[in-house]
Amino acid sequence: MKSKASFRSWADRTRWFLILAGLLGEGLTLRATEELTELRRDPEQIFVFQIHTMLVNKCFACHGDAPQELEGELDLTSRLGMLQGGTSGESSLSPGRPGESPLYLAAMRDHDLWQAMPPKESERLTQEELEFLQVWITRGAPWPDPERFKQLQQGRNPWSSGQEVRVQTSGGLSEEWTNRTYEPARLWAYQPLMSLELPAGTDNPIDYFIQNRVPAGLAVAGPAERAILMRRLCYTLTGLPPSPEELAAFVVDRSQNSYELLVDRLLASARYGEHWAKHWLDVVRYADSSGFANDFERPNAWRYRDYVIRSFNNDKPYDQFVQEQLAADELFSESTDAMLGLGFLRMGPWEHTSMAVGRITRQQFLDDVTSSVGQVFLGQALQCARCHDHKFDPVPTQDYYAIQSVFATTQLAELEVPFLPQENRSQFEEDQKYLEQRESALDDLKQTINRPQQTPNDFGRDRLSRKWSTLYRRARDRYQPFALGVYNGHTNFGRTSHKRFEKPANVTNGILEKTAILTGGDVFSPGQVVSPGALSVTAVETEIPPTLDGRRSAFAHWVTNPRNPLTARVMVNRIWGYHFGRGLAGNPNNFGAAGGKPTHPELLDWLAVEFIRSGWSIKKLHKIILMTAAYQRSSTHPHPEQLDALDLDRKSYAVFKMRRLTAEEIRDSMLQVSGELVHELGGLPSRPDMNLEVALQPRMIMGTFAPSYVPNITASQRNRRSVYALKMRGLRDPLMTTFNQPSPDESCEMREASNVTPQVFALFNSEESAERALAFANRVSAETAGDDAAIQRAFELAFGRGPTEDETQAALLHWRRSLEMQEQIVPQPADYPFEVVRQANEENTGELFTFTEPLLEYQDYQPDLQPYEVDVRTRALADLCLVLLNANEFIYID
Amino acid sequence: MDRRQFLYGLNAGLGSIAISAMLGEKTHAAGGIGTPELDFPSAKAKSCIFLYMEGGPSHIDNFDPKPKLKELHEQEFQRQGNEQSAMSSGKRYYVQTPFDFHKAGQSGADMNTEWSHLASVADEICFYRGLQVTSVNHPAANYHVNTGNRLGGDPALGAWVNLGLGTENSDLPGFVVLPEVSYPQGGASNWNNGFLPTEYQGTAFRPQGSPLLDIHPPRGVTRQQQRLNLDLLTTLNSRHAQQRPQNDQLAARMRNYELAFRMQTQVPDLVNLAEESRATHHMYGIDQQKTDLFGRRCLLARKLIEKGVRFVQLYAGTWDSHDYIQRAHGAMIKRVDQPIAALIKDLKQRGLLDETLIVWMGEFGRTPDNGIRGGIKYGRDHNPQAMTVWLAGGGVKAGHTIGATDELGMEAVESVHPLRDFHVTLLRLLGLDDNKLTYFHAGRYKQLSQFGGQLIGELIA
Repeated sequence: MKSKASFRSWADRTRWFLILAGLLGEGLTLRATEELTELRRDPEQIFVFQIHTMLVNKCFACHGDAPQELEGELDLTSRLGMLQGGTSGESSLSPGRPGESPLYLAAMRDHDLWQAMPPKESERLTQEELEFLQVWITRGAPWPDPERFKQLQQGRNPWSSGQEVRVQTSGGLSEEWTNRTYEPARLWAYQPLMSLELPAGTDNPIDYFIQNRVPAGLAVAGPAERAILMRRLCYTLTGLPPSPEELAAFVVDRSQNSYELLVDRLLASARYGEHWAKHWLDVVRYADSSGFANDFERPNAWRYRDYVIRSFNNDKPYDQFVQEQLAADELFSESTDAMLGLGFLRMGPWEHTSMAVGRITRQQFLDDVTSSVGQVFLGQALQCARCHDHKFDPVPTQDYYAIQSVFATTQLAELEVPFLPQENRSQFEEDQKYLEQRESALDDLKQTINRPQQTPNDFGRDRLSRKWSTLYRRARDRYQPFALGVYNGHTNFGRTSHKRFEKPANVTNGILEKTAILTGGDVFSPGQVVSPGALSVTAVETEIPPTLDGRRSAFAHWVTNPRNPLTARVMVNRIWGYHFGRGLAGNPNNFGAAGGKPTHPELLDWLAVEFIRSGWSIKKLHKIILMTAAYQRSSTHPHPEQLDALDLDRKSYAVFKMRRLTAEEIRDSMLQVSGELVHELGGLPSRPDMNLEVALQPRMIMGTFAPSYVPNITASQRNRRSVYALKMRGLRDPLMTTFNQPSPDESCEMREASNVTPQVFALFNSEESAERALAFANRVSAETAGDDAAIQRAFELAFGRGPTEDETQAALLHWRRSLEMQEQIVPQPADYPFEVVRQANEENTGELFTFTEPLLEYQDYQPDLQPYEVDVRTRALADLCLVLLNANEFIYID
Repeated sequence: MDRRQFLYGLNAGLGSIAISAMLGEKTHAAGGIGTPELDFPSAKAKSCIFLYMEGGPSHIDNFDPKPKLKELHEQEFQRQGNEQSAMSSGKRYYVQTPFDFHKAGQSGADMNTEWSHLASVADEICFYRGLQVTSVNHPAANYHVNTGNRLGGDPALGAWVNLGLGTENSDLPGFVVLPEVSYPQGGASNWNNGFLPTEYQGTAFRPQGSPLLDIHPPRGVTRQQQRLNLDLLTTLNSRHAQQRPQNDQLAARMRNYELAFRMQTQVPDLVNLAEESRATHHMYGIDQQKTDLFGRRCLLARKLIEKGVRFVQLYAGTWDSHDYIQRAHGAMIKRVDQPIAALIKDLKQRGLLDETLIVWMGEFGRTPDNGIRGGIKYGRDHNPQAMTVWLAGGGVKAGHTIGATDELGMEAVESVHPLRDFHVTLLRLLGLDDNKLTYFHAGRYKQLSQFGGQLIGELIA
């Protein structure tokens, strides 16, 4: 069967555009122009093309759509309704007299008696709409009967610029929506990619396109200093600063290709994949737990994280990367690596417990995956079309459910996928040792419970031990070759998240879901049945079989079809954004009308075409971007006033945009500067030190407490890169969140860089910072002889430059004074908590119950360097180091 | 930028302001200091204390007596409907309330007799029995009450209120949360800033340990040492900023360090209740074992409101009494009754009750019937169709009970409104219009009620 998503070809449509344009745009004679003016004064025309549309968009939701629930009993869907008015008892329309028509007065929003309408400020009538309303009422407020209405509607629209176009989609819920027209500029993302001719002798196409749009009279900044450029480049590609030695070598290397060689070297570094995987993991909402009431661990999620890192490091072609994540089981089931990509489909927060209705949680999964696919691969806010046709974009609700139908046979399962040799299993043994200790401690706790339960402790501990048994049983899957995955089959609503999801022997047990348009998005109000399909506006043909298997692979091929106008544009825009701090199109997750339009549409298309031509190679794309003058520009403009006058929004790339480091970059850089960063690829999530108050904060999961967070026992595991840090949705590391690490509940298209006071506490006062500063000072002491050399080294490590004379003096003075203060202090070894006592109201009895949780790892914990282990000179230097790690120069890069 | 710069926690990401400016969004009072530009200038309440009764307190056993259940007690009941969760299937029995009820105050408000202190302020309270929510899961229902969105991730009510009203104290966060030692289900997302700039996030003052994370410098670091560090930092940052005059974030970050240095002394002073009189302590039940914890939070809430904090949310739980409701609810009432009554009286005697909105509610009500779990059935399950919430303070229709549930307390039947309408009403009591308090995000203007709602006018005086 042919699916709904087969469309007229693009060429046909283009021809149709041209016909329309020819009809209304060019070649109008004088007489025709007069006729047009006349038509535009005709109140019937005004009604059909202006007033009625406005009423539909802004009034009917409360005054018509639901005849039983009319606001103020006012029905605006007919002239009679308007004349009758609502509960006020006054007619809302006085034909011929807008000044006496409450309809008009309310819309003006400044009347004493009539409440402003529509109520939402954001929906207020535009000046133009008010004028049409005024003219229509003045001229008698005619309301053509349905037949006449249709006749007029099919005729010429006297307001059409000739540019506005109708767009072919699978069709909306109303004819009105289906036939509505769009300014072509709003449809840029759905147009085929433009192949652009470059003038002969163009040196660098990207710089050519950028230069074309630099406002006349605006100079561009000169090239950045080499030291600044290298620091910028290292952060762009690896998220880490260069060492002072690498920096010094680059600064003096004046050979022609030294920069290019550096780009190549960094792209080949394993650090590259770790850093760029983090960008992707932001977009797909990676976490090691499921969120919601239980926040169950996802014991194998790390394999997806490592799959993403490997994919970036190996420069896996992006089309393949997409196909694997959507349909590896259908397309590449023989490839272990590819199968791990299916984790993408499992990234959203999701659980099903017996407390919830299975059909509802299943629908939550389907809505989540549909919305995620839309944002991640297509840059489309599909979720806006869940309850109605899209308000701004040519995305009918039918398409939303057609795409959802692609996943209607997709069932969650932990699949057996053998470990690859390169997957890091080195932590299994140690991790399992502590898990077993926890299990036996839990057995001890169970011994304290009277059966049947009598006391609050009995009830509370019983509930706790049952939950923790479940958690530990699931945790054992960490060491098993399972992967977050899916299979095709019928749906069983009852499967709860308490157990591993197994793929059943017979996948056709259960019900075969038939996707239907859900009225108002409500799972219990199914409407018209929909077949699997894709986004109809793109006019890229696809046939998605309505069979059990093959839906996702067909869809994946549609997504990665080189003629799909969205996929390549969306990805090159993301990559561009991570280089420059802003996308060419302002909202990488939303290419619709509500997202920012591209500032450089030609460049965006050129990049997309080039990306596809290069075999979807992300590394090649990096290289061409990094080789531009635009990327290598200084962040200081020679004429700031000129820049403000001509490019206030900094859209021209005349100057490079400074940025604050991300949360992970801050922590990783501190560890690198202090010499503590441990590089090890992949594996079980590492557990860094976390603010103890938060780590030991009691945390409720369904019915009881969650186990406490305990860091790894060794520094070699704790001090790994942040991309490997355990990410529980219900317990976020406060250091990360205050520096804007996004919540993994929503796709993050671009990090924020807010500037708030808690960041000061986190960076200036925390135990973490103190430990980094101490290790930093210790390193500097060990690597240098003499005070001046130490200061020199500390500045080089932190800022990539030596201190000025003034700075040296200020630093020496600071050190001396700190020394005086430190001499008064005798530091002692820190104590670590071996257990934590929990107390809470027990819900059966309403009385307090207590239990003691042993923190087993702390008994073997090997702390980072402590103040009592170093001399007083180093301790005093640590204060200086702390200041350097807090400096703007460390946190911001030019 | 200027007026935002002195906001606690400072600047919105530049991006968000630029975007709203570009789209012509009304910037509202937008967080500046001073008198906010109210949508409803006649509103009396300037700040809000939200008493969150986590777990779902039973309306039937607290404020909405159902004598009919006495007749039906222990009779078997099968719930209708084909889409069921485990909570609504199996054998179920009607359960009468184990509590005695009386009419409190001149208004004659229904109240179980355990609420002995609250009865003395019954005439300050407007009880509302018409509210309905949609979710029966704790975290989803918590998110719904707090953010308007069952899935979480959206800004909390307190964040919206601060966006609308701004702050009156640049040295303190405008949205403070006083959680119990263990956070409610759904965690800190219950006081999230969502898509609003970070400074609108609720700041949880921790009930134990340091009130703000890392507000105290690490062991061995004196204030003198910190000042020294701060001075060197200023020297380094000044040189750096001078070379980059175009970037105002650099200066903003420098100011944050000074602000943080001041807060380090201010906040611990604020949470220290020792300066309050013995009589005040006694009134709130501080130093009596059952009331001490919640009493401290109520007193701190009053102090925060006095200091200009706009929105304080207190948590008390758990009211999730599936079994042994007499003991479980009885103990909860003991913990909160005296402190809440003291808060109302204290605000009143200080002339602050009129300008403070107090909200008491949980995430849903409870069922008139129960299943048997472990052989016990004297409890109640989750019920989104009926609940009692109450309001007190500025602008509310004190001394009235609005709405009603059916004779079993299964479902609201009079003045029935969905949660979004209640959100609209709370904002209105604070002088804000839900339809104007919008923020552009992910393709549309978003608002607390999600898609707009109706005012529940009966709750307003």
